[in-house]
Amino acid sequence: MSSVLILNILWQISILAMVTIGLGIVFGQLKIMNMAHGELVMIGAYAPVITASLGLPAVLQVPVCIITVGIVALILERTIIRHLYGRPFDSLLATWGVSILLREIVELLFGRGYQSVSSPLPGTMSVLGTDYPAYRIVVIIGVFAFFAILIAWYRRSAIGTEIKAMVENCELAHACGINTSRLSSLCFVFGALTAGIAGMVLAPTIRIEPMMGLDYLIRSFFSLVVGGLGSVEGLMLGVGIIGGLQSALGAAFDQTYGYLGILLLSIFFLWLRPNGIYSSR
Amino acid sequence: MKTRLIKLAAAVALATSALTGSVYADIKIGVLVPDSGPSGLFGPSTRNSATLAAKEINAAGGINGEQIELVFADVGVPPAEATQAALRLWKGQGVKAFIGMHDSAVRQALLGLFKGQVPYVYTPVYEGNACGKGLYVTGETPSQQLAPVIPYLMAEKDAKKWYLIGHDYNWPRDTNKLAKQYIADAGGEVVGEEYLPFSVSEFDSSLQKIKASGAEGVLITLVGGGSVGFNVAFAGFGLDKQAIRLGTLIEENTLAGIGAANANGLYSSSGYFAAIDSPVAKSFSSSYASEFGTDAPVLNTLGQSAYDGLKLLAAIAAKANGLAVSAMDMVAEGTTFESPRGKGVLKDGHVAQNIYLADGTGGMFKVVYSFANVPTSEGCAN
Repeated sequence: MSSVLILNILWQISILAMVTIGLGIVFGQLKIMNMAHGELVMIGAYAPVITASLGLPAVLQVPVCIITVGIVALILERTIIRHLYGRPFDSLLATWGVSILLREIVELLFGRGYQSVSSPLPGTMSVLGTDYPAYRIVVIIGVFAFFAILIAWYRRSAIGTEIKAMVENCELAHACGINTSRLSSLCFVFGALTAGIAGMVLAPTIRIEPMMGLDYLIRSFFSLVVGGLGSVEGLMLGVGIIGGLQSALGAAFDQTYGYLGILLLSIFFLWLRPNGIYSSR
Repeated sequence: MKTRLIKLAAAVALATSALTGSVYADIKIGVLVPDSGPSGLFGPSTRNSATLAAKEINAAGGINGEQIELVFADVGVPPAEATQAALRLWKGQGVKAFIGMHDSAVRQALLGLFKGQVPYVYTPVYEGNACGKGLYVTGETPSQQLAPVIPYLMAEKDAKKWYLIGHDYNWPRDTNKLAKQYIADAGGEVVGEEYLPFSVSEFDSSLQKIKASGAEGVLITLVGGGSVGFNVAFAGFGLDKQAIRLGTLIEENTLAGIGAANANGLYSSSGYFAAIDSPVAKSFSSSYASEFGTDAPVLNTLGQSAYDGLKLLAAIAAKANGLAVSAMDMVAEGTTFESPRGKGVLKDGHVAQNIYLADGTGGMFKVVYSFANVPTSEGCAN
């Protein structure tokens, strides 16, 4: 295996993990199948577009991203999502509508055309004996660090324990004095923010337009199907298999086989192992 | 009560006559534009360009002495629905001719509907080979965009090894069939050929193959968002230092999405660029800006093509003294018209036109060479 292929697979896994974690949190913990997840990625990707059009320094795209995505998520949670906790199918339909709404709003504000975002770290660097985009290397390291911290925090923190209690038995957790309503909206907003940040991080490497979110929803969904819901380990396994399989098949044959491979694998899992490989429950 | 009724009847009669009056005052031309769907981005610039052409045609006395009025319909939909929309304009609103800026599937469906009974000008860049009674094509075909350009670029940029990459449908495949011949004729070599499904948004493995192939030129027939994503990643991997890129559908919107930092050595071949430096092209873009504002949708080859479509229609109709297909078909060959693209001449149902090669380096197109009066060499397949 060439070193570029290894790096490509690591890159695919990193970005897919960033996009999928939010979908996994919201579905695993709140039973909300968020079809508007890709649109949250899209809104995050527009953060650098916003700072550039307002003439703000590039550093401010991080707060701009957190504020815009946070506000959108909070409004969605208060008006629509909170009425649908624990109703996956209803939430699927409602959030599908939300995704169309968000696309149209962004189109109204920024137009239908493509936007471009310049990379904060252009050029390539030599890694494992090959030239690879420097920005991608930084992102790969950043994503793995983020996940390490997230896992450690979730295992040890009080909020982590409260979330587990809420997921296991919401009423009992509520009776024990855990503010489950606040905890749920926290979960949703956190999941949305990870999607937004993923979009912002991806922005210099992809196309940016109102329809882009669809690309990210589908593969994230496949990763959850394969990996199984409810644990970070399952999620990493899922994104590893989906991202790795597509890259490897794409490199060995061509991209059509890469896409066909993940479609077949996902169908196979939905059919024979609907709980995925690593199901905690 | 009675007088009120009489007044009402009089008012209705007046209103009806006023309405029918407006219906018969002008010749209606149907303009089929993509307001929705994947080409929806090009709807507004197409409408605007058509509107400008109609204004000019009317100022010059209209068609056969009658003023023209444009009626728009959305054809950014599946062929069956697009046919319905065209039928409503034709039979319902009495449209006398059609201008179409849409994909080939819709064109084939419309040809089946019109059956040569109404003049139809097809305007976008396309794979070539369309012909039929009452059909006139203004858009660039692959032979026009590549026959002069590939040998020129190969000599100028010393690019002998080419990699061909496109989306998996007939336009890229037909384009590459011709490209291979032109590359071979100019003493070059094709080192790779690849077609991607529309669902792909990651290009890493393709870029790896391009790098390994040692390509010095990449011919891109990816469309829309796929082209943007590919070109961004291409430059991200530093491949712009290895190979030049040539696209046959990289227009102003696509280039804006690719961004200045990623457009180094990116060439585009087309019949129109907003940057064409001729008096006619400049006056076109300045009247576009004054009519629709400086924030108007950017001019591009697809949108602007509707202008050429109307100008060609008016020119043929002037020779034929009207919009009857049989009379138009008789005199159509050799019809000329003025356009921001330069002078267009109708030959075998297609327009021989200037082809411009533009360099996108720096994020703005600069026309580096223009090839005069390039005819189409595709045959007639339907």
